[in-house]
Amino acid sequence: MTTINIGPIHPSTHGVLRLVAEIDGDTVVRVEPHIGFLHRGVEKLVETRMYMQSPPYMEKLDYVAPMAYDEVYVAAVEKALGVDVKERAMYVRVVLLELQRIASHLLWLGTMANDLGQLFTVFMWAFRDRDMVLRLLEEAAGARMFYVNMRLGGLIRDLPEGFQEKADEVLDYLDKRVKEYEDYLEKNPIFMQRMRGVGILSREDALNLGVTGPVLRGSGVKYDVRKNSPYYVYDKLYFEPQVRNEGDCFARYKVRMLELRSSIRLARMAMEKMPAGDAVGMQIRLILPEAKNRIVTVNRELPRGECFMYLVADPQKPYRLSIRDPSFINLAAFGELAKGARTADLFAILGSLDMVMGGVDR
Amino acid sequence: MSIGDLLSIITFVSDSLGLSGTLANIVNTVVYAVLIAILIVVFDYLFGWLERKTIAKIQARHGPTYVGTYGILQNLADFVKLLAKEHVVPKNADKYLFLGTIPMMLSISIFLILLLPFAPTLIESNIGLGMLVVFVLLSFMPLVIFVNGFASGNKFAGISAQRSVIMLASYEIPLLLVLAAVGALAGSYNIASIISAQNNYWFAVMMPIGFVIFFIAMLAEVERPPFDMREADNELIAGWLTDVSAPYYTLALFLDYSRMFLGSLLIVILFLGGWNGPLLPPIVWLLLKCFIVAFFIIVIRATTVRMRIDKLLRFGWIWLMPLALLNLIITYLIFIR
Amino acid sequence: MKVERQDLTAQIEGIKKGGYDYLVKITAVDYEKYLEVVYILRNTEGSQDTTIEVELDPGDAWVPSIMGFYKGADWYERELYEMFGIEIKGRHVERLLLEKWNGKIAPLRKNFVWNTPYETSD
Repeated sequence: MTTINIGPIHPSTHGVLRLVAEIDGDTVVRVEPHIGFLHRGVEKLVETRMYMQSPPYMEKLDYVAPMAYDEVYVAAVEKALGVDVKERAMYVRVVLLELQRIASHLLWLGTMANDLGQLFTVFMWAFRDRDMVLRLLEEAAGARMFYVNMRLGGLIRDLPEGFQEKADEVLDYLDKRVKEYEDYLEKNPIFMQRMRGVGILSREDALNLGVTGPVLRGSGVKYDVRKNSPYYVYDKLYFEPQVRNEGDCFARYKVRMLELRSSIRLARMAMEKMPAGDAVGMQIRLILPEAKNRIVTVNRELPRGECFMYLVADPQKPYRLSIRDPSFINLAAFGELAKGARTADLFAILGSLDMVMGGVDR
Repeated sequence: MSIGDLLSIITFVSDSLGLSGTLANIVNTVVYAVLIAILIVVFDYLFGWLERKTIAKIQARHGPTYVGTYGILQNLADFVKLLAKEHVVPKNADKYLFLGTIPMMLSISIFLILLLPFAPTLIESNIGLGMLVVFVLLSFMPLVIFVNGFASGNKFAGISAQRSVIMLASYEIPLLLVLAAVGALAGSYNIASIISAQNNYWFAVMMPIGFVIFFIAMLAEVERPPFDMREADNELIAGWLTDVSAPYYTLALFLDYSRMFLGSLLIVILFLGGWNGPLLPPIVWLLLKCFIVAFFIIVIRATTVRMRIDKLLRFGWIWLMPLALLNLIITYLIFIR
Repeated sequence: MKVERQDLTAQIEGIKKGGYDYLVKITAVDYEKYLEVVYILRNTEGSQDTTIEVELDPGDAWVPSIMGFYKGADWYERELYEMFGIEIKGRHVERLLLEKWNGKIAPLRKNFVWNTPYETSD
């Protein structure tokens, strides 16, 4: 029995995660994630800031899909201050969030293949495609990485002219690319060997451990916040949560690949149905410093899973903001998942959880 | 440049010194070794460049472009940079074993290339059982890696060392079975006779199963993906090279490419007709084929996912072994009986 | 739903039997006069959430562990201990969740002022 320390500096830990694994031969007996290298105390920090000073902090929690996190926080503030979102703004937000989900899943795809020992090929391809989506988001928000474009009741500005044509072009291209990725990976027997039957999480365990998002759906639980408690216009758009019953790495991979497709469809659909009108939100200096609701809860389906915010509002600033980060709880289940796996599978499982350390440590 | 010219280069020194007999032989051997060493360095360098460029093209990048034409000098720049780095020997390491094994492996692989012929008349040591000698020495490599891994005192290197032995157990027997078939087909283990036996048909055509098995086993032997579990950079950081610091790491890189050179040379000599080919001189054919095989090895590296060590063992014993036996039987039934 | 601390385990057991099979979050809020621990549970079939609140005296802050019902409570409970100094009874914790945390301060309580320097462990 050997104890090996993996990380916090290691090619496959996606940031600053430290794993302490006990290994018997090639079998993992116990593995425990040590977190906290990126702890910044965001929850406390938010308490010292005015409401709309916090979105930039929120974005750094999940630096792979920042806009989605921004949106959860702004939605919580909207609920606390009693601001209604404009109709067009809802559609625009849905389009941007789905694009963000595509960008995030593409990054995951690249890193996942990389964790299996793929020499950066899929990684590079996925990054190239992700960059197209980022360029679209840049056009809409004005920044490439950290957008901070959500405002109360809408966005910082409406979609630029000609956005829909460009987005359609990119989405058509991505549709083909996703098929290519699937062919490329799933027709590779070694890839299938590495993914099938590895890191199995049963339905009961998934619920008991409280995992979220694609990990939960990969274990056969049909729960997607967009479907089960729809927000914005998700109830007007047709889509089905992607569910696989196997609960192994391949199921999680497949759920995300299917989600890529459904996100492409959702973005297209939302753009088609988008009404004309105004999508610009309140200017920050016009916000009235009065909260109507004391305790507010918001949940949203982020690319990584469900984010839940529990906001206790004060008139000026949040009294307490509690964030349930999807990566945090998915990583908490890692110890259970990796039990009995092979050493090499440790990283396949870790990759299939798709966590971002910014959110885990907060 | 014809073979005669090459031979005259080798004998140039001894001739100009007016030597003869044993002394001349020794001098000729040294000159030949130096020439081959230069060839190996040049080829390692070219393989490094080819690998970087090919993988870059596959990955929709440009690869090195800045230093030299098409970035040809980039590896040289990296080499100089690595030599300038600090040399560290970890505290837990067994210093002499740790530092000794990498040069040892490099010298083994260079010695093996030295044993191989580059043209009909360019054979340094025409041993009767030459191919067997090559494979016996080749089997030493994983064991030396094993020693190095444990000597470095790093746990990742230790895991890598264990994997090295498991790998040895999984592909070595099929490899030797295929070699037996080759020997039976050529009627000799002499390298020159193996090549001249392929004058009409390449062995790759005569026993395709054996060729595929040999190619796969050779990928594992020279530690190329999908069988690079020893180095497994996503899992074991750099495997047995984890604690090797920069100057020795340059040696390890050289070792990597010389093993690739060796691997492709063996594939070419045993299966792709060696130096046989029209028009061009033999040595050019040999090296050209070598380059093409290396290109395929690189493309495989860029496209595939790493195999798991227990699956490799299973693959080796369930698929490669019986297929290698089958290959031997078929070869015997069709060509020899 | 407000619950007394001694009834918490029984309540959660009852709720879990009622189909609430998923633990969303355990969090706490420091209202200065009292601490409030909030359990958010979900029925994934019907997609309903329920909230259980437990009031605690800041000087005597502990809650029973609910690891027996929801394994996912593990890290949340440890987070509660590290961030609010709320002790979790009825479970064994080997080490602190956050690396280098000294575990002596409760930073998310209101009496901890933002940016106060603190010492890390080792």
